[in-house]
Amino acid sequence: MDLLGVITVIAQGGAEGQKALALGLGTAIAAIGPGIGVGYIFGKVIESVTRQPEMRGEIQSIMWLGFALTEAIVFYGLLMSLVAFFIA
Amino acid sequence: MPQNEFRLDPWIPIEVAGIDLSINKAVLYLVLAALATCGTMVYIARRMQDKPNRVQTAVEMAYDLASNTITRDNMDSRMANRWFPFIGTLFLFIWFSNMIGYIPLPTNSEHPVAVLGIEIPSFALYAATANFSVPLALTLVVWLSYHYEGIRAKGFVRYFKGWVPSGVSGPVVALVAPIEVISQFLRLASLSARLFANMLAGHLLILIMAGGLAVLLGSTIVGIVTLPVGFAFYVFEVGLVASLQAFIFALLSAIYLGEAVAEEH
Repeated sequence: MDLLGVITVIAQGGAEGQKALALGLGTAIAAIGPGIGVGYIFGKVIESVTRQPEMRGEIQSIMWLGFALTEAIVFYGLLMSLVAFFIA
Repeated sequence: MPQNEFRLDPWIPIEVAGIDLSINKAVLYLVLAALATCGTMVYIARRMQDKPNRVQTAVEMAYDLASNTITRDNMDSRMANRWFPFIGTLFLFIWFSNMIGYIPLPTNSEHPVAVLGIEIPSFALYAATANFSVPLALTLVVWLSYHYEGIRAKGFVRYFKGWVPSGVSGPVVALVAPIEVISQFLRLASLSARLFANMLAGHLLILIMAGGLAVLLGSTIVGIVTLPVGFAFYVFEVGLVASLQAFIFALLSAIYLGEAVAEEH
């Protein structure tokens, strides 16, 4: 079965299939942005630490804050997808 | 069944004026976390030694982190002295709550196991912070207290005027003010959802990888393949996410509190 066929089957599969699709696609799309963001943060930290190794401690504490704030965005997507799955 | 992993069965049903106040799994985890927080700290404080052993060193490091990195770096010393007990407790309580969530405890009353003729619940993972009510209640306390501190320090009108960034004047204020008001309310959602969703996602991943998927699909080979992945997620959650989320929650609370009383931001 080709991809279009699969999508057609899921779309015709009634409310359950569409909810599952909403959960999967919602979380997957929400993960793209934070994925790029987290990679960017760690890349920049490596760059900064190689330039100024003496600033390592300070940079790392900022890094964890930035990492947690960025990573949380994927969970907002997951939460909304779970709302779509269980409540909508 | 794996779907019922997060269901809260009332163990001791209590209902007051139509509100469900039953003792359930989440209540047990909250009590355990509170006891662990108070117990560890009082015990360490009672037997402080000049030559600290490993546990005392670890607790002193946590205290130093909560006192200096989290609290004192983000507010002036008068505010820090007043709010450090609150923020330190928040940090330790959430940390213990998260960590206890990764210790298997006999709480799964759905599948009792008979040991020596006595039925005991099977071992399960659950965390109080993976239940939305708990982070939301903690967030509400933080949210109300930083508004209270801000209004007390600056006065009612000046505090709310301070929400609009300095340098913005004229008709732009009408544009910026609603955004600032919305962002204040979004903090309620973001602070609580960050902790809750991180813990829930961690527990869901461990649940699905360490057997849930195999049970749902009814295939043994899937379970054999996913079990090491589940173990890897467990190590990741215990080693990084549990501590990091406690740290972030306390740090953001301190930042909000410091920002509410700071002049010109």
